[in-house]
Amino acid sequence: MRDVIIFVEHSGGQTRKVTFELAAEARRLADALGGKAHALVAGSGSAALAQQLQNHPLDKIFHTEDPDVDKFLLDPVVDYLEAAAKVTGPAVILVPNTMLGRDVAGRIAARLDAGLASDVTELRVENGRVQCIAPKLQGSTITTCTFKAGDYGVITVRPNAFAAQPQATGAQLVPLEKPAGKTYGMAVESDVEEASGEIGLEEAAVVVSGGRGLGGPEPFETLLKPLAEALGGAVGASRAAADAGWVPYSLQIGQTGKIVSPQLYIAVGISGAIQHKVGMQTAGTIVAINRDGTVPIGETADLLVVGDLFQIIPALTTLVQQAKAAHT
Amino acid sequence: MKIVVTVKLVPDPNAVRRIDPTTKRLVRAGLETALNPFDEYAIEAALQLKERLGADTTVTVFTMAPESMKESLRKALAMGADDAVMLSDPALEGSDVSVTAYAMAQALKKTGFDLILSGALSDDGNTGGVPGALAEYLGVPGLTNVRKIEEIGDGRIKAQRETDSGYQVVSGPLPALVTVTMAIGEPRYASLKGIMGAKKKTISTLSAADCGIDRPAGSDGAKMEVVAIAAPRAREKAKIVEAADGPSGAQAIFDFLRERKLV
Repeated sequence: MRDVIIFVEHSGGQTRKVTFELAAEARRLADALGGKAHALVAGSGSAALAQQLQNHPLDKIFHTEDPDVDKFLLDPVVDYLEAAAKVTGPAVILVPNTMLGRDVAGRIAARLDAGLASDVTELRVENGRVQCIAPKLQGSTITTCTFKAGDYGVITVRPNAFAAQPQATGAQLVPLEKPAGKTYGMAVESDVEEASGEIGLEEAAVVVSGGRGLGGPEPFETLLKPLAEALGGAVGASRAAADAGWVPYSLQIGQTGKIVSPQLYIAVGISGAIQHKVGMQTAGTIVAINRDGTVPIGETADLLVVGDLFQIIPALTTLVQQAKAAHT
Repeated sequence: MKIVVTVKLVPDPNAVRRIDPTTKRLVRAGLETALNPFDEYAIEAALQLKERLGADTTVTVFTMAPESMKESLRKALAMGADDAVMLSDPALEGSDVSVTAYAMAQALKKTGFDLILSGALSDDGNTGGVPGALAEYLGVPGLTNVRKIEEIGDGRIKAQRETDSGYQVVSGPLPALVTVTMAIGEPRYASLKGIMGAKKKTISTLSAADCGIDRPAGSDGAKMEVVAIAAPRAREKAKIVEAADGPSGAQAIFDFLRERKLV
């Protein structure tokens, strides 16, 4: 019997879709392991978010409004996750595979002396043991890992890999006490938003991504953003575009940036080198637009349209907008 | 200030890599070993700091790897690092994230440091979990995904770190572990003088026993076990459409999306 705890990433009580995906997967895992499914949410806005999480199939929601969680980097939140794990006993901890999630996962795994499975896209329970399935080596190999001893540990889960299943199951709200005797040193002095999109890249159902073929920063605003908005998605970029300074690195998709798994990925003026492919190859449908029909993205894409992106994108945006207008 | 840059030696990033079906480990035979490309940015960051802080700042490159890979560290020394330390022990082979971080922490306690720098990701495993775990085992703050070190000195650091939506300015005490992103600046090329000088620089070796590693290490100590490997589901080859003009290209995409119920 093992409990499952999800780490809830949020900003001032605003969370992302991946939280609800983790909640649904935690429930499924906990049922298979004969345990309970819980969540930890810490920092300003947690009380309200904890209530919102009661609409998801959880048993306990550990929460705290401790302002230190927002004032100091990482350590307080890891302390609270540890406190939650102390309440439940050895557990499987699910963390979103995001920038923050990776940091939290490494720290809590070391703190609990537990194993760590990364970027998992599928979870199974066989004979009472958790199996973590994850693409490795730039997606060329799919590995299945288990926790060797005790069968507890930390798993970072790729956003969009699981479906959310909202369901109110009467989850109990459990406030956590501040861990005693802790002092924190790494202070957050300011927090600046740079990415213009409101939808997180990793959780967007549609990603419209631009590369070298865009030729500069303007087309990201004038071409890609309207298309992404029409499709209800987010704008991303290749490493070449980020390296050129056309967009912030926070939009970069690929091995050195974000790994996304949307339902639809549109690659505009991106050749699709392996470094980019790693970041988007598990998308549901991949459409590429390029003026060269021999680019490597053809190996990954479902549809490659060879033509002038500067003409195709505005026309496509209009078609999508018209379809939406006809629908409403 | 004593700066230690932790690097990972990875199989040539441009070579085709595969996993041995029996051992379920990466086949390294026949592959050139190179510095993890992301760690070169950490070396660059360290050298920038050395230039900024002056002569009493030293840059040591640290890696945990078989001794046979020793020469792969010369590149870091040629770029300008002062010396290198390897943690090499057959007992450490097959270590997973937890064991690797624990063993590295034991060795780094031995070498001493004011600042540990490393790349934000590794090129092969891509787990990204080691820096966090390493900071935890060392009991120092982890300042990850740093794109600019604004101030450093008097036992404190202030830096800009990237977040999912922008950046944060964070400050705190040293010693600390800092991981840097590519925004820190392109790694410099080694000069001819640097390459010549690197041959004379010291690469020392520590064993597990030297560092007081007293718990099961390597695959015995690993918390994770790979039980199966498989090839990914193959994607069908792309349908290729030559678009005569914008509207026809857009229509081809729109029809395709409609067919798949995506619009």
